[in-house]
Amino acid sequence: MHKMNNYKSIIKGDYQQRTRSYAFLITLAISLYLAYTFVPAPGANYTTVKIGKYVGENNTAWIGHVTAMMTSIFLSLFGFYLINSSIKKDRDTEVGMIIATTPVSNFKYLFTKVLSNFMVLLTITGLVSIMGIILVFARSNGTPFNIVQFLLPYLLTTLPCMFFISSLAVLAEVFLGKWPILQYIGFFCLFGIITANVLPGTGTTAKILIDPFGVKMVMTGMENLVRQQYDATATVGSVGFNLSSGQEVKTFLFQGISWSALYIISRLLWIGISIFAIFIASKFFHRFDVKEKISSRKKKNIITENIEARNVLQEIKRSALPSILTDYGILPFIKTELLMLFRKGPKWFWLVNIGGMIAMFFIPIKIAHQFVLPIVWFMQVGRWSDLASKEKTNRIHYFTYAAYQPLKRLLTSQIIAGIVIAVTLALPLLIRYLLAADLLPVLNIFMGAVFIVLLAVCLGILSEGKKLFEILFFGITYFNLNLFPITDYFGAVSSGKSLALIMLPIIAVLLMISFVKRKYEIEHG
Amino acid sequence: MVLSIQHLSKKYSKEKFGLRDYSLNIENGILGLLGPNGAGKSTLMKIIATISKPSSGTITLDGRDIVKEPNYIRKILGYLPQDFGVYANLNAYEFLEYIAAMKGVGGPNLRKRIEMLLEGVNLIEAAKLPIGTYSGGMKQRIGIAQALLNDPKVLIFDEPTVGLDPEERVRFRNLISDLAQDCIIILSSHIVSDIETIADEVAVMKGGMLITKGTQPDVIKSVAGKVFEIVMEGSAVNDFKTKHLVINSIRQKENTRLRYISDSVVNTSIPCTASLEDAYLFLTKNNA
Repeated sequence: MHKMNNYKSIIKGDYQQRTRSYAFLITLAISLYLAYTFVPAPGANYTTVKIGKYVGENNTAWIGHVTAMMTSIFLSLFGFYLINSSIKKDRDTEVGMIIATTPVSNFKYLFTKVLSNFMVLLTITGLVSIMGIILVFARSNGTPFNIVQFLLPYLLTTLPCMFFISSLAVLAEVFLGKWPILQYIGFFCLFGIITANVLPGTGTTAKILIDPFGVKMVMTGMENLVRQQYDATATVGSVGFNLSSGQEVKTFLFQGISWSALYIISRLLWIGISIFAIFIASKFFHRFDVKEKISSRKKKNIITENIEARNVLQEIKRSALPSILTDYGILPFIKTELLMLFRKGPKWFWLVNIGGMIAMFFIPIKIAHQFVLPIVWFMQVGRWSDLASKEKTNRIHYFTYAAYQPLKRLLTSQIIAGIVIAVTLALPLLIRYLLAADLLPVLNIFMGAVFIVLLAVCLGILSEGKKLFEILFFGITYFNLNLFPITDYFGAVSSGKSLALIMLPIIAVLLMISFVKRKYEIEHG
Repeated sequence: MVLSIQHLSKKYSKEKFGLRDYSLNIENGILGLLGPNGAGKSTLMKIIATISKPSSGTITLDGRDIVKEPNYIRKILGYLPQDFGVYANLNAYEFLEYIAAMKGVGGPNLRKRIEMLLEGVNLIEAAKLPIGTYSGGMKQRIGIAQALLNDPKVLIFDEPTVGLDPEERVRFRNLISDLAQDCIIILSSHIVSDIETIADEVAVMKGGMLITKGTQPDVIKSVAGKVFEIVMEGSAVNDFKTKHLVINSIRQKENTRLRYISDSVVNTSIPCTASLEDAYLFLTKNNA
C-alpha cells in the first residue's frame, strides 16, 4: 500500500509538471480543434473516414468509432512529441541524480514514466471524447445517445494505442536519448509504416493484429458492412482529412462493429508487449550515469579533469591585456550560430542530409519538391526548434540580454543562420528551378525556408521551449507528405503567385511577434 | 564614474518586492553587497546589468539613465551572473568570441586578448575542448574571463567565488583589487571574508532594502563594544541562545564557547574586537 502511494506520488508529480506547460495546452487545443473536425459538418468539403462513396450517418456509433480512430492516429502523431522528453527533463534538471540514489528500480522508474506519459495522453483523450459527445448531440439529429457504444472504441482502440505510444516514447529515450533528432525521425518513419498498414486492403488476420493503433480492424469492419449491404466494390481510400468537394457522398447506417475476442486479446497483447519492452529497456537504462555510457564524452572529461587538477586561476594583469576595438557587426554571431546549428546532432546525420540533397538533384523535380524537401527540412527539427529559446534553456540569457543591442543583432543573426541552413539544404532544388528559368518555385521555396525558421523562432520565444514547434512541425510535415494544400508552405502542391501573398503577411506576423516578445523579455528579464 | 541608484523598487506582485525604495551612490572602487538569501542582491545586480527593469526609481551612470538607455552601460559592462550556463558544443575560444560579439568588441587583438585571458584563468590547455565537458570550477573561470573581455568600466560579480577552491579565491581577490583602479566593481557574496578583504565599501541588504552602507569600519561601528565571548556548559546553551544573539558556537568537550552580541555583558564574558561578520549578522538578524 505504501509502495502504491509512492508510485502514485511520483506519477502525480510528473503529470502535474508536464501538464503545466504551454506545449501541453497547445497540443490540447490542437487536439480539441482536430476532434471538432473529425466529424465533418453537413456540407463540409472534406471527409475523414469514407468507404467508397459512403460515410456513416451521424449517430453515437459512427461518431464514437470515427473520433476514437482519428484520436488514435492523430494523438499518436502529436502526442509522441509532447511526451518524449520525460527522462531528459530529469537529466537536465539533475533530478535524475537524486532519483538514481533512491531505491527505486530501473523498471519501476521507467514504468512510472510510461504511466505518467499515459496519463497525459489520457487527459487529452478524455477531453477529445467529451468533444465527441458534444458532436453526437450537435450532429446526430436526435438519435439516442448510447454511452457504451460511444466509449467502447475509445476503451478498446484508443487507450491501448496511447499506452503503446507512452511506452514507445520511453523506449526512444532509453535507446536514443543521446540523439533526440533520431527519435524524431525514427518515430516519423515508424508512424508512416504503421499508418500505411491501417487501411483494410488485403488485410489478413495477422495483419490486423499487428496494428498497434488498432484501427485496421475497425476499418475492415466498416468496409465489410458497406460491401455486404450497399456496394460490393467499396474500399476505404484513406483515413484522415480528404478533400471531397464535388464528389458524391452517400450515407449508411452504422451501428458499431462487433468486437471479437481476438481483437480484445490483441489489444491486451500490445499493452503486454509495451510493458515487456520497458522491462527489457530497464536492463539498458543508464540510470543517469551518462558519462559512463558515453565513451567519447568520457574521454574528454578525463582530459578536463586532469587539467583542472593541476591548474587553478592565475594572475590576470588588466594593463597587460591587448586593447580591442569596438565591432557592432553581426557576422561573428551568424558564424557562431551556424557553427552551433551545424554541430547539433550526430555528425553522420549530415551524410543523410547530403544524401537528401543529392537526391533532390537527380530524382524527378516534382517528387524532390513534394517529398524530399519537406523530409530533409523536417530532419533539421532538432536544429531549429531551440534556435531562439536555447539562451534560456542553457542559461546564457544573462549574457545575451545584457549584450549590446541584443534584439537587433542577436535575434536577427539567429534567424539568418536558420534560413541559411534551410536554403542551403534546398539548394539543389533551387538550382534546378533556376536552370529551368522557373522563378516562382524558387520564390516559394525561399519563403518556405523563411517561414519555417520564423515559426521555430516565434514558437520557441512564445513557449520558452522547443516542444511546441517540434509537435507542429511534425504535424505540418505529415500533412505535406499527404499533399494537403493548407499546410503547403513551400509551394509543393500549389505553385501559384497567391502563395506569396498568403505567406508574406504570415511571415510579417511571426517576425513581429518574435521581436515584440523578445524585446519584452530583454527588458523584463 | 558615478553610478547613482535612486528610490529603486522591483515589485513582483502586490505583496512581493524584490527591492524596496533602494537608494545608493557607487563610485570607483569595490562595493561589497552582503545579505541573506532573498535580500535582493541578485535583483539589484540584474537591474544594474540591464537584464531586469525596475518597477520604479532611476539608475544613472554619469548622469545617463541606463534604464532608458541600457546600451550606454552595456558597452562597458562586465557581468558574471550567479547561475549562468554555457553552450556545451562550443569550445572556450568560440564561446569567448561569441560573447565578444555580444559585447560589440573585436579587432585584430581580440584573439590575443582571449588567449591571455584563458591563460589567466588557466584554461588554455582545455581551450579547444567543448565547454560541456568542463567542471563547475572551470565554467566559473570561463565566466570570469568573459566578464573581462571588453575592458569593462563597470563590473558586476554575483557570488563569483562559488566553485573556486581556497587558493583560487585568494587569486580572485587579487584580480579584483587590480581591476578596481578605475572601475566600479560590485561584488556580492555570502562569504563575508571574500568581501572583508577587498571591499572599499559594504552595503548590507535585507528584504529588498538597504540596511546600511559605508566603509567597513563604519559598518563595524554598529556592533562596537557589543561583541563578547563566553564559555558555558552545553546544557545551558539553548537557554542562552533564546536570550542573546549568538554569532558563533564552538564545542569544546563538555563546554561550549559562544560568541554573542549584546548591549549588556553577561558575567564571565570576555569583550571581543568586532568584525564585519559580527556586524553583518547583527544587522540582518536584528532588523527583522
